[in-house]
Amino acid sequence: MSLALRIRDLIKDHAGEKALKGISFEVPEGALFGIIGADGAGKSTLMTILATLMDADSGEVEELGLDLKKDFKILRHRIAFMPQRFSLYPDLTVVENLHFFADLYDLDPAEKQKRLSDLLKFSALEPFQKRRAGLLSGGMKQKLALCCCLLHRPSLIYLDEPTVGVDPVARRDFWILLKSLKSEGITLVVSTPYMDEAKLCDTLLLLDHGKVLDSGSPREMLSRYPYSLYRIRGPKPLAYSARKEPPQGVSLVYPAGGELRAAVDGGMNASQDDLWKDFPGANASESMTPDIEDLFFALLSREQASLEKTVK
Amino acid sequence: MQASIETRDLTRRFGSFIAVDRLTLRVERGEVFGFLGANGAGKTTAIRMLCGLLQPSSGTGKVAGCDIQTETDGIRSRIGYMPQKFALYPDFSVEMNMRLYGGLYGLKGQALRDRMDVISRLLNLEPLLSQRTDSIPWGWQQRLNLACAILHKPEILFLDEPTASVDPVSRRHFWDIIAELAASGTTIFVTSHYMDEVEYCGRVAILVQGRIAALDTPVGLKTTYGHASLGEVFLDVVERAQTTSSTQ
Amino acid sequence: MKASLRRILVAGHKEFLHIIRDPQTLAIVILMPVIMMFLYGYALNSDIHNAQLLVEAPVPSAASRALTSRLNASTFFSVPGSIPASADPLQPFRSGQARALLRLPPDFEASLRRPGGAALQVIVDGSDPSVGSRMRGAVEGAVQKTLMDYLDIEPPHILDQRAVVLYNPEQRSAMFFVPGLMAVILLMISALLTSIAITREKETGTMGQLLITPLRPGEIIAGKLLPYVVLASLDGLLILIVGRLIFGVQVAGNLFFLAICSLIYVFTALSIGLLVSTIAKRQHHAMMMALGATMMPTVILSGFIFPISSMPLFLQVIAHIVPATYYLQIVRGIILKGVGLRELWQPLLILGFEGLLLFGLSIRKFRIKL
Repeated sequence: MSLALRIRDLIKDHAGEKALKGISFEVPEGALFGIIGADGAGKSTLMTILATLMDADSGEVEELGLDLKKDFKILRHRIAFMPQRFSLYPDLTVVENLHFFADLYDLDPAEKQKRLSDLLKFSALEPFQKRRAGLLSGGMKQKLALCCCLLHRPSLIYLDEPTVGVDPVARRDFWILLKSLKSEGITLVVSTPYMDEAKLCDTLLLLDHGKVLDSGSPREMLSRYPYSLYRIRGPKPLAYSARKEPPQGVSLVYPAGGELRAAVDGGMNASQDDLWKDFPGANASESMTPDIEDLFFALLSREQASLEKTVK
Repeated sequence: MQASIETRDLTRRFGSFIAVDRLTLRVERGEVFGFLGANGAGKTTAIRMLCGLLQPSSGTGKVAGCDIQTETDGIRSRIGYMPQKFALYPDFSVEMNMRLYGGLYGLKGQALRDRMDVISRLLNLEPLLSQRTDSIPWGWQQRLNLACAILHKPEILFLDEPTASVDPVSRRHFWDIIAELAASGTTIFVTSHYMDEVEYCGRVAILVQGRIAALDTPVGLKTTYGHASLGEVFLDVVERAQTTSSTQ
Repeated sequence: MKASLRRILVAGHKEFLHIIRDPQTLAIVILMPVIMMFLYGYALNSDIHNAQLLVEAPVPSAASRALTSRLNASTFFSVPGSIPASADPLQPFRSGQARALLRLPPDFEASLRRPGGAALQVIVDGSDPSVGSRMRGAVEGAVQKTLMDYLDIEPPHILDQRAVVLYNPEQRSAMFFVPGLMAVILLMISALLTSIAITREKETGTMGQLLITPLRPGEIIAGKLLPYVVLASLDGLLILIVGRLIFGVQVAGNLFFLAICSLIYVFTALSIGLLVSTIAKRQHHAMMMALGATMMPTVILSGFIFPISSMPLFLQVIAHIVPATYYLQIVRGIILKGVGLRELWQPLLILGFEGLLLFGLSIRKFRIKL
């Protein structure tokens, strides 16, 4: 299978700090590729570089078979970038924004009209086409931004946290749009702080402090989950603070939804049926399969713990 | 016992548009109350009325024992409000921002220093005090935002999407702090788009087009609507309310 | 080439939409020249009008009355009447009652006809040097003339001195400031608005979006400049119309030539704005920089208000860098003297060269990455 993106040893110092410390990964053509990581992990810096808007200090990037450094002008015709911040013109209407970006790509009028009406239908923005972009709701703004990215039919799109501040309904709609783009063969690289969205990607890249902590399909990554995970029923989830030292043999305790979860070191093989007895107010515990959020939490908590130790 | 927040038929119109429609609520002291809704459902308008920042068109309400129409000064000294947008000075140090906000609420001298010590220990901000605010990661900036909102020991804390764009690890730390505040008797009124963290709330209201479409404990909501997660409940409630409003 | 031109027009059209969507800025752009014309037209006027003049006549006489009424009749002065001798003649100056005082001796009437003549004293407020000296000249001239008439004598005939005042024979300051305002306003509109418009795209993040489209940096810039060239031309026209209708300033030279020179000047001004926008990161920085780089030097150094020849050498050097200096020579030449390319090619060449230099510099500095 051919690659949409091949990155080797990408290094970038940003604002006096090492934002990316040697990153390598590959994205196959047509993938829905997710980038997750804590704040300041380097997700936005990475995306801005890949979108040809910033130069890396060193490293090789091959994008759609072209060299990012040399051929960035050609690449700009074939990729799109949806930045974290809403970057359209709030004083122009929905159609005016679309027309403006469409006109820059020199489409013939019939083709332009067709793409515009297709996109308005696709994004369900048709009833709002005369509304100024600044007055749209958060979800609609993001859909409009996506439409503006799609006008020139790019084969690779970067989306930096596109659903932040967007309500769950609009978030779900947005991901339905992304899925349908993927089915058309477009490669999508998306960063997100929502772990339920990460689950929807074919491949994930977990970034932390400018390094790749793990990558693979969600299934592969979960198979590397380092603990045995238990659900503890009974106590109010927030009553158990992460600041407290967890009980003997338990590496991590944290609330998740309406319950408490305990990660036990896999090698320990404690008598896990009565694990709940160590938790005040608990009445049962059962083994469960971790999801991406559990994995993220496990990997990053270890990093964060060592970081807080060094800070102190 | 007197409720922390109590409203009756609170309504706000903007022209012909009804942003908040007859909101009737009662939130007890020390409760963690989740306030959900789609973008544009009226959450921020409601919070602004409860904080005394916006006059209601009709209806009444009491927050921390003060009338929301006539005693807004009283409300402001008894509540903490952490807005959606970052409201601190990026070019100040963490400590200067805290001192400034403490000063705005009338704290000074030793009292302010003691309170800043307590809060920075509670929020683990101590190692960052001398750093420029815009140089620390976003999740920590949000913690500082929270620190500034609770310096004056508010009775009620309003949090408008406090964890937007914050990664899961930082979000959990954030909720730890919220739990500790609630345990010490602070009422928490919070909005969020993360349905997993809404499960930590004592009760949850789901707002659709300015009206409360559902209000119950997380467990109660999941039982009533027959879903395993609040995320599914939310989608269900919003869709039901929208189909009934479009068939009307 | 054709595609490039089309993209420039697309970008220009978008910029035009921004302008009409922002009625406040639009109002400023249209009203500012008119307001400034009225301000300069009426406030910057150094013509003396109804200055308070006191006549100190301890013994009123026919001669003193003749003097008083003659001075009062001139538009320069307003004379409330004569006052008796005072121990402190400077008191009216300190209290602001008088700008000038004419002191006559008690025996004025009699001494007029005595050999040796009469002694009188003129005291003027010289805090504004040019007004002071002009008041002095006016009082002295009027006194001389009135007394000659009063005594019915002819001045001795020694010289026949005649002066001709060219271009602005009535010495109206409107003739002078209308061309000056063209220089100030065109520069301000062009430099300020473009620098803000470009910096705004950087601040809101839309510049990144523009850069990854096929739009080339030169095209982004040209598209940005296009609507402001139109706006600046409208303002130039507005100044000429108001100048003509309200201040009676007629263009002596060729209007078409004036338009071409003004376009070259606007191009130079836009390039200044462009250069500012490549440096500034925020809109308010751009605004302060553009104002500093345009308003101050244009008003103070270009010869708009103060003559360059009376500046110290190092300021003269700077004044000869300021583009408005050359434009001012050109507009004054065209509007007042009615001269053309043959006389004005030199400043025009320098202006065009400065424009190209600044434009090239800012294109080079305009980054194609963030």
